Amino acid sequence: MLEVDGLEAAYGAGAVALAGASLTVGAGELVALLGPNGAGKTTLVRCIAGLVRPRRGTLRWQGRPLTGVPPHAIVELGIAVVPEGRRLFGGLTVEENLALGAFTPRARAGACARLEAVYALFPVLRERRRQLARTLSGGQQQMVALGRALMADPRLLVLDEPSLGLAPRVVEAIFETLVAINRQGVAVLLVEQNVHLALAVAHRACILEAGRVAREGPARALADDPEVRRAYLGPLAAARP
Amino acid sequence: MTVLQQAVLGLLLGGLYGLAAAGLSLIFGVLRVLNVAHGELIMLGGYGAFWLFALAGVDPFLALLVVVPAALLAGLALYAGLFRFVVAAEEETRIKNSLLIGFGLGLALHAAAVRLWTADERAVTPAWAGGALTVGGIAIPLVRLGALAVALVLIGALHLLLARWRWGHAIRATAEDREAALLAGIDVRRAYALAFALGTALAGAAGVLVSTGYSVSPAIGLEWTLKALIVIVLAGLGSIFGTFVGGLVLGLAEAASAAAFGGAYREIVGLVVFFVVLLVRPRGLFARA
Amino acid sequence: MSGTAPSGAPRARGASSARPVNARVGAALLAAGGLLAALPLLGIREDHLNLAVLVLLAVVLAQSWNILGGYAGQVNLGHAAFFGLGALVTRTLWIAGTPVGAAMAAGAVVAVAAALAVGALAFRLRGAYFAIGTLALGEILRLTVGNVLPEISTLPAPAIAGYRLAHRYWIALGLATVAVGVVAALRGSRLGLGMQAVREDEDAAEASGVAALRVKLCALALSTALAGLAGGLFAYYHISYYPAHPFSPHWTFDALLITFIGGVGTVAGPIAGAVVYVLLKEFLALRWVEFHLLIFGALFVAIVLVLPGGLVEAAARVTALGRRGSAGRAAAAPRHPAATASAPSPGPARAPLEASVERSRSRGRLREASREPAGPEG
Repeated sequence: MLEVDGLEAAYGAGAVALAGASLTVGAGELVALLGPNGAGKTTLVRCIAGLVRPRRGTLRWQGRPLTGVPPHAIVELGIAVVPEGRRLFGGLTVEENLALGAFTPRARAGACARLEAVYALFPVLRERRRQLARTLSGGQQQMVALGRALMADPRLLVLDEPSLGLAPRVVEAIFETLVAINRQGVAVLLVEQNVHLALAVAHRACILEAGRVAREGPARALADDPEVRRAYLGPLAAARP
Repeated sequence: MTVLQQAVLGLLLGGLYGLAAAGLSLIFGVLRVLNVAHGELIMLGGYGAFWLFALAGVDPFLALLVVVPAALLAGLALYAGLFRFVVAAEEETRIKNSLLIGFGLGLALHAAAVRLWTADERAVTPAWAGGALTVGGIAIPLVRLGALAVALVLIGALHLLLARWRWGHAIRATAEDREAALLAGIDVRRAYALAFALGTALAGAAGVLVSTGYSVSPAIGLEWTLKALIVIVLAGLGSIFGTFVGGLVLGLAEAASAAAFGGAYREIVGLVVFFVVLLVRPRGLFARA
Repeated sequence: MSGTAPSGAPRARGASSARPVNARVGAALLAAGGLLAALPLLGIREDHLNLAVLVLLAVVLAQSWNILGGYAGQVNLGHAAFFGLGALVTRTLWIAGTPVGAAMAAGAVVAVAAALAVGALAFRLRGAYFAIGTLALGEILRLTVGNVLPEISTLPAPAIAGYRLAHRYWIALGLATVAVGVVAALRGSRLGLGMQAVREDEDAAEASGVAALRVKLCALALSTALAGLAGGLFAYYHISYYPAHPFSPHWTFDALLITFIGGVGTVAGPIAGAVVYVLLKEFLALRWVEFHLLIFGALFVAIVLVLPGGLVEAAARVTALGRRGSAGRAAAAPRHPAATASAPSPGPARAPLEASVERSRSRGRLREASREPAGPEG
């Protein structure tokens, strides 16, 4: 459904962020995008979101090209992005934040039902729905961010580092939710630093290094790969069979 | 004039300062654009009311029904024709460019006004204008009281718009975090246009009220831009009601300084406070953390 | 503001071919200067000479603003305050008997002192806050002076009897030459480069080792010294005026209009702008009062949006179009003020700073291109 082919993007005169990255996300798949800091993962996400225009390469969603499509139209097309750092509207209430997720015309139909579904998924948000978003804890904010993306009725959910700054228990809960969402048919592209957890939930994984996809394959295979384990899971993990 | 009388008059004027500032604050908060021609837009609203009255005998408070929609459209036109090009840049450049463009726009509008209507002061004086409400020895001019009431109503209406209307939410979201708004599917350009139009409509309304209770001339442009800026810096961005209260505070401060140092220094106190607050807390005394 | 991207080799080529060009330009300037100096002796009409003084005054005023606003990128909307202070001090001292040269110098000193006192505080404000802060400051001074000295200031009779327009003219010419000279010297200097770096991206400049505050204060000092001198000239030139008049924001506006329309951040820009501005104003004032402001306001907006380099950039583009016929000459021909303004002469100590200016400029352009904010929204 999502096809990224040979994407090149740069900031400023010389800082190349993507140097020919390619990946795909099929319907219903959960694909993990891994790699060291500065590899270009966030840039790739921003290209998909329409915030950055790639210099070269193609970006296709269900066959149609995405380059040049403004970000709000990309949401209308069915891609919802949960950015790094959550980026909630702090001065608005939880419910207003969620409601804004269903801003596009396509998402507005059935917004009420979807809001109920989001509250069912994250009951704590229902309790706090009139609270200002910036007064919530990190984990709750992540739930709001995720909920807001779900309100857009996406076919592809892209998350950039959802586990950042969250306690392990909260992270596990978020990931369980992700798996549940994925099982309902929403494709997921997950950019993560927490390689262990990402590989545990994903179907496939891509490793981005220096702006290019260095490795890719089924998550299980990558998790067992000794090189990957050494690079990302630490020497001890690599030693373990 | 007693101190209390001056204070009441200051409050009445302060309400208009608040209205003027609210429009500019909305535009700056959402677009990060400083339209320093805001005062000239107020001036134009004032002339609108004046000419409707002088040529067609329209009561100024009714003139609002014409001027406010006209100002709304004018705001859309200004955004589409001018400020749209400024918002593409990143914040610091954007603010600087908008400052320059607003400057040029203000100059052009001022010159046009002088050319068309001369530099004379005009005031709208409906038949009932002379009356005043007397409460405990304090005379409250009816027109100015009416103006304050209208200002309050408009502020309340803006607040409701922002709180209940879908696009009001979108405007607030864009003001908070433009990128996140984009990611949520909001067409940020439309939010910009709307915010600019609403801000300009408030300016037009303020102008009508200014020409009625006080007077209008081409020169009030710069003066009111400064007033609006002072209030914004005092009150910070964020709360519409906070901005309104900031206007009232400025009105009172001016009255106090006139009482203490004489009328000649009334304008200066606001500017001095402004400069000091800018140095100490450029984001305003009541800004969010 | 006028953007060309210098790179190693073409610049070196440009520098070597600049020498014969510079000699030619220098000779032309000398000849023009001589002609200008001789003007009063050539029997020129008095009202034309008056016009010339006004043009020269405008040049000084605009160039002074150009230093802080064009080169260092700090939009100062309170410029009139320093013009006014210079005028106030000069007038007061001169009428009291001080020789005009000393009076003008004193005016400049007071202007600079006030500027530095305020600048140390005001420069804590960035961008728009600095601009509106200085605007407020200017207004505070104007209102105060207007309250304290409401009566018109007229020269005493002996001074009126002894009034020589030619003297005013020569002082104006001298000041204008100094102002242009200062800006020209800045252009190639390390200080000037530092200013431009701060203008493009203050944080990046600091990271490259530029002491931003010190650079800004230097720009402020130079700018306000010249503004104070311009004010002194104003005080010396006019027979009578209201003391608050030179503090009026319209002097600041004039400076901005002239500088931007001519070409902000260039040497020739304010000169071209001043000539166009004063002449057009005179011409239009006969028919339509204040109409020149309508035109210039609209022109100003157009320039900020479409042609940031002003008349100078327009001229550069037109001559570049004309050159397209001749084989492969790079647009960075040193003749064009637009190109020379942004291509400083090479030197090993300067190279990292130039690179930083270029990086900031391109980053700024790219940010605009990708519509991407520089960081999290506030």
